[in-house]
Amino acid sequence: MRGMKKKLKGWSRRSFLKASLAAGALTLSGTFLFKHWRKLVGRLLPKPEKRWQSETFIAKAATYEEDIASIIVSGLGELGVTPNEVRGKKILLKPNLVETRVGAGHINTHPLVIRGAVDAFLKLGAASVIVAEGPGHCRDSMLILEESGLSDALYENQIQFVDLNYEAWYTIPNASHISRLETLTFPAILRQVDWIVSMAKMKTHHWAGVTLSMKNLFGVMPGIFYGWPKNVLHMAGIERCILDINAALRPHFAIVDGIVGMEGDGPIMGLPRHAGVIVMGRNLTAVDATCSRIMEVPPQNVRYLVAASLCLGPINEPDIPQLGENISSVRTRFKLLDYIPTQKGLRMQEIINRTQ
Amino acid sequence: MQNQLLEHYLEQLKKRCLVDGGFVHRAGGGYRPDATAWAILALKAARISIDELELSMLRLTTDQLEDGRISISSEHPEAFWPTPLAVLAWQGSPAYRKPQSRAVRSLLNKTGVHWLKRSDSAQAHDTSIRGWPWIENTHSWVEPTALSLIALQITGYGGHDRAIEGRRMLLDRQLSQGGWNYGNTITFGKELRPMPDSTGVALNALAGSVSRQDIKHSLQYLKSRVKNIRSPRALGWSILGLGAWGERPSEAPSWILESLRLQEKYGNYDTSPLSLMLISFMAPGGIAGALAK
Repeated sequence: MRGMKKKLKGWSRRSFLKASLAAGALTLSGTFLFKHWRKLVGRLLPKPEKRWQSETFIAKAATYEEDIASIIVSGLGELGVTPNEVRGKKILLKPNLVETRVGAGHINTHPLVIRGAVDAFLKLGAASVIVAEGPGHCRDSMLILEESGLSDALYENQIQFVDLNYEAWYTIPNASHISRLETLTFPAILRQVDWIVSMAKMKTHHWAGVTLSMKNLFGVMPGIFYGWPKNVLHMAGIERCILDINAALRPHFAIVDGIVGMEGDGPIMGLPRHAGVIVMGRNLTAVDATCSRIMEVPPQNVRYLVAASLCLGPINEPDIPQLGENISSVRTRFKLLDYIPTQKGLRMQEIINRTQ
Repeated sequence: MQNQLLEHYLEQLKKRCLVDGGFVHRAGGGYRPDATAWAILALKAARISIDELELSMLRLTTDQLEDGRISISSEHPEAFWPTPLAVLAWQGSPAYRKPQSRAVRSLLNKTGVHWLKRSDSAQAHDTSIRGWPWIENTHSWVEPTALSLIALQITGYGGHDRAIEGRRMLLDRQLSQGGWNYGNTITFGKELRPMPDSTGVALNALAGSVSRQDIKHSLQYLKSRVKNIRSPRALGWSILGLGAWGERPSEAPSWILESLRLQEKYGNYDTSPLSLMLISFMAPGGIAGALAK
């Protein structure tokens, strides 16, 4: 105890000064980076004509045993998605499937949430629902399907799974050009469906801060052109590529599995964190901002969300009317690790103030 | 019975050959160089006459770039990871010695992006050791490095500096608990998990070049992991990896047939994993054994 006191005392004298200087430097560099990003994105992407407004829906779901299809149907209804809008449409669900390991179901979007979404869209009259993913670490997607339990969930209902890593493709110019990538290559099937639904897992991330419905779209980029891991995107800047891909694809809907998410060293080595929620919405940026708030990570501190707020959707709370549960009733503090640079400072109030 | 089934799946594979040569990625799909190279390897392992494969080997040369690369599509020369597969497909066919040499030369000239490891790096592996990338201007990873090593070894370049360095890279990326994944070992202080397909391909590449002691944990990992795998890429590479070290499980043929039968549930496998399954059935000594046939 004595030793501990001494240590604390030592920290308060020498290290406190060091830490204060470091925090100051971090805040200054953070402010510079945010300003730089704002300028860059503002220059490259058209600004919205009027103030962004997009609703999100939060549902409580304590476990995966709940009637998730009904929760999703109710959320779609609250968000104004009518059967007329869905009837006859081809829906592509894009879950987050990374890799499997025993006892680590919190890495991937849970099969029962995917199954719930399949049932919900079919119930609203969708012509077809397919599940598609291009895992970024594992070349053998069928291994993930089998070991995650998703193959059984899909097979029972004869739902098709498409491995996006190996599909036929199309290439388009990278119009937003926030990253240095000149073109973006997507699986052809994305052009053959009417709706793309990003079905992310609620996780903290060691490179991006948080990984939610926007970051989840890395999985649509075919491994045959981006590699395993999708290193082309890493080399061109993860955050910049998140923006480019989302600006090019503009998915129609997001459903985030936050029943059991991941905290700490995500996207694969973190610990399970029960938040007991499913978050949905038409605008991915708004959905991610809401998830971020639920995780107690201010979205104003997540660089790519700040940049996205200039061109893809709102992140400010007044601009995101909440349907279903209130954020405050489901707020769950996801652990951040101070030895991971991107996570360090994610909760710092100073950054929020300087970017608002 | 097993041979009859094998014939059935070989026929399934042959039907994916295009009239003008080359193989489609899947039934009803278009030409793909990776699928073509894998199908040639499988059919060679089954001792199909070279004449039957002639047009497909020729088709592989048509997309070869000036510098010897074979990329996944002519619009995407940067995605040159099929190059070592083409080298293997042309092996033992004198008529293709020239394109094969050009492809080998391109492998010797190409590398991933590498840099001196910084002391504060979040990753533990040595980022300066050169291997091969999936895609140009990216870092080197396990599978393309292992396949390139196999290609260099089979064509007599196993003693080349690049091959020696490639083996060093693979050993550096081996996990301390045994096995490999796509190519990261420790990130932010935590050791990542191994994956069976990456482990299988790396074990194939290192067979005969490093000591058993160097890879004993990986063999142990794969021996215990393979029992529960029936998906084609992971199972195929696992069996070939163990076979390359004389550790092929006696149940391997029945596991492979079980996996092939899963097509009734999931639909037909793509050409590359189907070929890999067939090779793993026919080549008890690993991928090099299939080529030696």
